[in-house]
Amino acid sequence: MRSIDIHAHLTPQCFIRAMRENREWHGVKPGEMGIGPRNSWTPEQRIDDMNSLGVDVHVVSTFSFYYYYERDPQVIMPMHRECNDEVYQMTVDYPDRFKGMAIIPMQDVKLAIGELDRCVNTMGFVGAMIDDHVNGKTYDDPEFLPLWKAAEEMGAVMLVHQQGGRTLVLDRNPNYHLHNTIGNLVDRAVTFASFVFGGVMDACPDLRVCLCHGGGYTCFGAGRMDRGWQVRPEARVNISNPPSSYLNKFYYDCLTHSEPALRMLIDTVGIDKVIFGTDWPADMAIDWPVSWILGLESLTLDEKEAILYKNLENLLGI
Amino acid sequence: MRSIDIHAHVTPQSYLKAMREARAWHGVEPEPLDIEPQLEWTPEQRIKDMNSLGVDIQVASTGAQFYYYGRDGQEIAAMHRECNDEVHQMTVDHPDRFKGLAQIPMQDVDLAIAELDRCVNQLGMVGAMIDDKVNGKTFDEPEFLPLWKAAEQMGAVFLIHQGGGTLVAPRTRKYHLPNTIGNLVDRAVTFASFVMGGVMDACPDLKICLAHGGGYACYGVGRMDRSWDVGRLPQMPQPPSAYLSRFYYDCLTHSESALRMLIDMAGIDRVVFGTDWPFDMQIDWPVSWVLSLESLTQEEKEAILWKNMEKLLGVTGD
Repeated sequence: MRSIDIHAHLTPQCFIRAMRENREWHGVKPGEMGIGPRNSWTPEQRIDDMNSLGVDVHVVSTFSFYYYYERDPQVIMPMHRECNDEVYQMTVDYPDRFKGMAIIPMQDVKLAIGELDRCVNTMGFVGAMIDDHVNGKTYDDPEFLPLWKAAEEMGAVMLVHQQGGRTLVLDRNPNYHLHNTIGNLVDRAVTFASFVFGGVMDACPDLRVCLCHGGGYTCFGAGRMDRGWQVRPEARVNISNPPSSYLNKFYYDCLTHSEPALRMLIDTVGIDKVIFGTDWPADMAIDWPVSWILGLESLTLDEKEAILYKNLENLLGI
Repeated sequence: MRSIDIHAHVTPQSYLKAMREARAWHGVEPEPLDIEPQLEWTPEQRIKDMNSLGVDIQVASTGAQFYYYGRDGQEIAAMHRECNDEVHQMTVDHPDRFKGLAQIPMQDVDLAIAELDRCVNQLGMVGAMIDDKVNGKTFDEPEFLPLWKAAEQMGAVFLIHQGGGTLVAPRTRKYHLPNTIGNLVDRAVTFASFVMGGVMDACPDLKICLAHGGGYACYGVGRMDRSWDVGRLPQMPQPPSAYLSRFYYDCLTHSESALRMLIDMAGIDRVVFGTDWPFDMQIDWPVSWVLSLESLTQEEKEAILWKNMEKLLGVTGD
């Protein structure tokens, strides 16, 4: 049994070195960002942990803290390039253990396309991880269409993942970790809706979007979106089919923290659309993720294999 | 087969009359009436529609547009009294067709308790409908605890139902998403606020019914449990999912698979009939819909349509 994890993060060593040496790093001041113990591991220490977890391959993405979409793209572009170069080096040093997922400066769509192109076509990355919005703009905004078209052309996967702590729930109740436990999931549903209701999935039929955290509330809540589409003209301006008919156009990681939720996700979107993703090394990761999947009683062995590696092998062409 | 609908709205005739006569009404300036035609119906017209739908009893609640928690408490208390008197009159004129849910001025907890007491103990109403928040405060705020204690004492039911903007609106107002995603995430945050704020432990007999099937509460509880597992909810003696069966939920999911999951997770004795009459986002032919669901047993259908509500309200069938 193999396993390929599409949702595994990196704190770049170049950032850690700068902080340890008390140096500013692409505009980030020393002490601006904390570093957890597992986040500072070297690729070799990471591989030791992957071995203990039974994970063969990490598709490595630089942490969402480094999006910095609100800052000057001319400053952030070199930051993202340095992060991506470091991920690239991991894939060169350990080609059987790491694949790369880029970070791109979404505040400037042209620069974002340029960096995606460099990462995918020059360095063999599988795509890029992006936030649910860019400085408040959702992905139905026409300014992003050239990026989706370019990604579609390249066969790049867009992995959608919120920036830690800054979700829609924060405004209502900042307590109890709800910005994460509810916020991540609602942000993902709004992103699904923005892509679908905004007509992006019709304009780019081959665009590959993977929604982290099992797509959040998307599959459970699609029934109410369908009802909205039935009765509200503003929900039909761009699409002539109900939103639920687009569920199987997306990919979803298996990070639901709930067997019945994962079962519903599979039944709603199709087993070929659910892939292995763990959120390594965050505390909200799945503990012993391979064992968790293998232990689920409501999944067949075929379904477990599809999630753990077969779907991702198909998606990535490996 | 009987049916009792806990989620059915009223627009007060006193308000309609004032607007038609271009008079101010409890501080509401004259405004053009832009509402569903059914909201102008008399109780007798409403009963004809209930007959066609197969609905025996509506637990009538004055619409959420009349919360007005942002205005002066005394002024709105007078408005709410007039609304409640009108709903009371419906229950007096047609005692076997209508029960009442009160409006209460949540911006002033003392006034809210007094009006709830009047409505429940003098007018025989079953409880009150309230928003997910009060001027930005969630229900874990200690200032609301006297209200929960008083309601528990009275045996009153709170129906939780959004009013005004939901959490989705700051990100996007398009495609009806503030309703189709927003209502559902607001309800999940309210579930979490009651549970993680300790209200359900402090008031073990408090009766809360979460409209719209409790939104994303049941589907998303696994991720809330994970935050409890990793020590982010140190105040809680049990994981959040242990509290799912402490709430009631209406069946307004617009999805058979979502309703099935709700039943499986919260328990069949916790799901009650609710339709959102007469809004466009309601269930069309709601009794027929429940009766036709292939994944529900006949006993489950009866529990949802009327048996659970009879127990909750302490009413007896004919």
